[in-house]
Amino acid sequence: MKPRIWLLPATIAALFLVAIPQAPADEFYKGKTISFVVGFSAGGGFDTYTRLIARHIGKHIPGNPTVVVENRTGAGSLVAANYIYNQAPRDGTVIGNWIGPLVLQQVLGNKAAKFDGRQFGWLGVPTPDSGVCALTEASGIKTMDDWFNSKRPIKIGGTAPGSTTDDVPKLVQAALGFPMKLVEGYQGTAKVRLAAESGEIDGGCWAWESIKPTWAKGLQSGEVRIVLQSTDKAHPDLKNVPLAIQYAKTDEARALLAIANGPYAQGARPYTVPPGVPQDRLQLLQKAFMESLRDPDLLQEAKKSQVDIDPVDGPTVAKLMAGLYDLDPAFKSKLTKLLIPGADKKN
Amino acid sequence: MVDILDAFLQGLIQLFTWKAFVLQLAGIAIGFLVGILPGLGGPVTLALMLPFIFTMSPVEAFSFLLGMAAVTATTGNITSILFGVPGEPITASMVVDGHPMAKKGEAGRALGAALMSSFVGAIFGALCLAISIPLVRPLVLSVGSPQYFMFAILGVAFLASLTGGSVIKGLVAACLGFLFALVGLDPISGTERYTFDTLYLWDGIRLVPATLGLFAIPEIIDMAVARTSIATSKVGKIGGVLQGVKDTFRHWALVMRCSALGAYVGILPGMGGGTSQWVAYAHAVQGSRDKDRFGKGAVEGVLAPGAGTHSTLGGDMVPTVAFGVPGGVTTAILLGAFLIQGLVPGPPMLVPEAKGGHLSLTFSFVWIIVVSNIIITAICFLFLGQIARITEVRSSLVIPFILLLIYLGAFAENNAFGDVVVMLVFGALGWVMVQADWPRPPLILGLVLGSLAEQNLFLSIDNYGMDWLGFPSVLALFALTVLGTFYPLFQRWREKRNKPQYKQLAAVAELQAKEAVPVSIWLPIFSLFVVTLFAWALWQAWGWDFRPGLFPWVVGFLALPLALLQLNLDIAGAVKTIGQRLVKARDQEATRLTRETVKISTWILGYFVAIWLLGFSVAIVVMTFLYLKLAKERWLIALVLTFFAWISFYGLFVYLLHVPFPEGLLFAWFRQ
Repeated sequence: MKPRIWLLPATIAALFLVAIPQAPADEFYKGKTISFVVGFSAGGGFDTYTRLIARHIGKHIPGNPTVVVENRTGAGSLVAANYIYNQAPRDGTVIGNWIGPLVLQQVLGNKAAKFDGRQFGWLGVPTPDSGVCALTEASGIKTMDDWFNSKRPIKIGGTAPGSTTDDVPKLVQAALGFPMKLVEGYQGTAKVRLAAESGEIDGGCWAWESIKPTWAKGLQSGEVRIVLQSTDKAHPDLKNVPLAIQYAKTDEARALLAIANGPYAQGARPYTVPPGVPQDRLQLLQKAFMESLRDPDLLQEAKKSQVDIDPVDGPTVAKLMAGLYDLDPAFKSKLTKLLIPGADKKN
Repeated sequence: MVDILDAFLQGLIQLFTWKAFVLQLAGIAIGFLVGILPGLGGPVTLALMLPFIFTMSPVEAFSFLLGMAAVTATTGNITSILFGVPGEPITASMVVDGHPMAKKGEAGRALGAALMSSFVGAIFGALCLAISIPLVRPLVLSVGSPQYFMFAILGVAFLASLTGGSVIKGLVAACLGFLFALVGLDPISGTERYTFDTLYLWDGIRLVPATLGLFAIPEIIDMAVARTSIATSKVGKIGGVLQGVKDTFRHWALVMRCSALGAYVGILPGMGGGTSQWVAYAHAVQGSRDKDRFGKGAVEGVLAPGAGTHSTLGGDMVPTVAFGVPGGVTTAILLGAFLIQGLVPGPPMLVPEAKGGHLSLTFSFVWIIVVSNIIITAICFLFLGQIARITEVRSSLVIPFILLLIYLGAFAENNAFGDVVVMLVFGALGWVMVQADWPRPPLILGLVLGSLAEQNLFLSIDNYGMDWLGFPSVLALFALTVLGTFYPLFQRWREKRNKPQYKQLAAVAELQAKEAVPVSIWLPIFSLFVVTLFAWALWQAWGWDFRPGLFPWVVGFLALPLALLQLNLDIAGAVKTIGQRLVKARDQEATRLTRETVKISTWILGYFVAIWLLGFSVAIVVMTFLYLKLAKERWLIALVLTFFAWISFYGLFVYLLHVPFPEGLLFAWFRQ
């Protein structure tokens, strides 16, 4: 009998054809490598969170894949977002981390954002950014009443449009109407702090999670006060600080504050996979993401690095981002005027 | 007082528990390697090492991290001096005079001078950290946006008027640097400036690829054309090193002043080694009687940046410790280490342990910088003789490795392929600038400080309207800038006038001889290119609003007349050359030079194309081997060196660092 050698490769080929597409999610990751793609350079806040998660998520995924972190920087993490949407493999081996407000930018017509926020697979957010406004003692503003009644505009330090430091105070001011002047262009929040201490400006608005460890001295000595929170619930550390929503009088004001509390807070630092990742694999990753953020080892490291963990799950983030695509056109054009520089001239 | 002294000693003793000391040695070893390799920068490596400090005590963590940070610039200097390739962005200035010294066979002396001045600078910076922490608050808070703006202008103006023979060329080069700094998305107004609609250019031109291109590529071409080892004359005995050490003490005052400058620049948040190296260099030129020696291997040009760069780290630590505002990139990442260790920067760092503070830890920073520098300097001195010998290796063995280093260096800092293209473009620009005798340092400093100057200008306007122009400190800095720019001109004029009659005649004769030197007819063409570039930049900026437009207009209107003046000078020179029939006939040597230049340029571009088509991993193997073989090296040498190149690339960048190298285009096509 002639040995049917040709059968062997044919069988192997057939096996591959059958086996690969059907590999269940829990075997898929065996021997594979998952890459986290961070839109910012090594050492920053986004990188810190990603490396923290990357060190622990492997044990929560069946098959225990190797996990590596890549920094793909550029255009305020837009390069990373575009890469995840358009170029990254769609098999669940690449996870992106970029800033959530980019989705809002895309909705408001940023042509350089080449994605549809509804199509990403959303794994979740490790912690919301709790927006607060911090003012110095020298500003003379101790309470919101002082601020509303101030004779001069209160100078708030900003970095650049599109970031929390600029957009959150703009949104809150538009909602509540207190006297404010935004001075934009400081290189990072450390410079805003410095300018506030030297008296050049009165303070700034950004995440409490970042202000708490870095401005601890000022907060303790009373040289710096938190006067307002832009979130819809008080942060446990800040029970006595008023919420912006308490001063909102109109529906529009409430809608503006919802934006400040949405992509800039709840969805500020999302983790995503490209569109088209199989549903079961996405769910597996969403589950692993939440599990690793409750892992005692991770929590211990987070506590040491003074990094807050209060995870928001994938479906919640997905719903929040999708909601941005259903905004009323009139409100959308108001947001565009408010948040996109030079928008009134372009249109 | 006893408390403080006790803490000071405790700080030292803490370092010598075995674990802390071993970790410090590990940090130094990593820093040594990182410093030598271009592109693999100190800050990035620090960031990658942060996770390892979770289980360490504060002293151990800082022994490890600060030990690493303290030595990268030291070994970065070695690469800069020996190969003309900046080992770290903050050691680019070392190329300017250090590399010419290596070429003259004085590599040992240059290294000795760099090491010793670096050591002195580092100790000086550490002392500043020790004594100035209590005083720093008023010092930093007195510098607001207007003063920052003036500092940036002052630094660039000084460097521009001092380096190179011509003040005009220097100023135009500085404006070129400013212009390149403007490329990108203006973050405040959202205006795209000179981006050609590419997302890559939104972030502007990055410093590392620009520096590598500007300084390293002309060197490679030079080396290949000369077809000799780096040192064109024989490397002197090891005694050269001692000579360099002696130079440090011979120019003691200069080294001290540059250390002080470096520490002060370090204390200012946002300005770090990238600035202080050039400020120190400019100061050395300014203080010298014979400015013509600079750029050609003057030892002061090595001593000044050595001291200036190294004292910066100590200075940088001051605002980081005192109020959590990092002085530079490196300390921004070290701030992360503070948080991991549960330390709050600020006054508690200055209170003795007995009263609940961390003073002895703060003093241990001082000691870590001192001890790390002692160790690295000792190690380097031990091997300096051998290291200097590298310059005697024949160029065909060295060039493939330098090519590998610059391509990796350009790519790996940000993992962006566009950076490689930027490096090539700046390489071409750098080569032309060398040929046309234009100074490159002002361009780099303009690039470093351009956006800082622009941001602080607008912050000043937003905060103070036009009032800031009348601040006494601003007026003083302005006066200093004007004085610094025109003083060299005045000095030259005075020298000429004060010379006795016969010397004046001699000077005139010398001048005439100089003018008789034929001026290449290519010079006006480059000047014309510069003029066109500024004209185009102005034309592009015409429709922009005040915010994104102001800086381009100011830079353009300042540079255009100066560039036209230079063009005029160059045309006059060329006309004279042709008129007096000074154009040299193309002799054999000139033909050979042209041929060799074309050849190495083809290699440089070919390497790029190979990376593009085949990806880094394959291209490195193919190109290294091809180069060695076509340079008629033996099979064994070629194979062993190629393997060595590949394994060091793969082991470090792929296996350890997970750098996401792009796939070669050819493979991407085949897969589809």
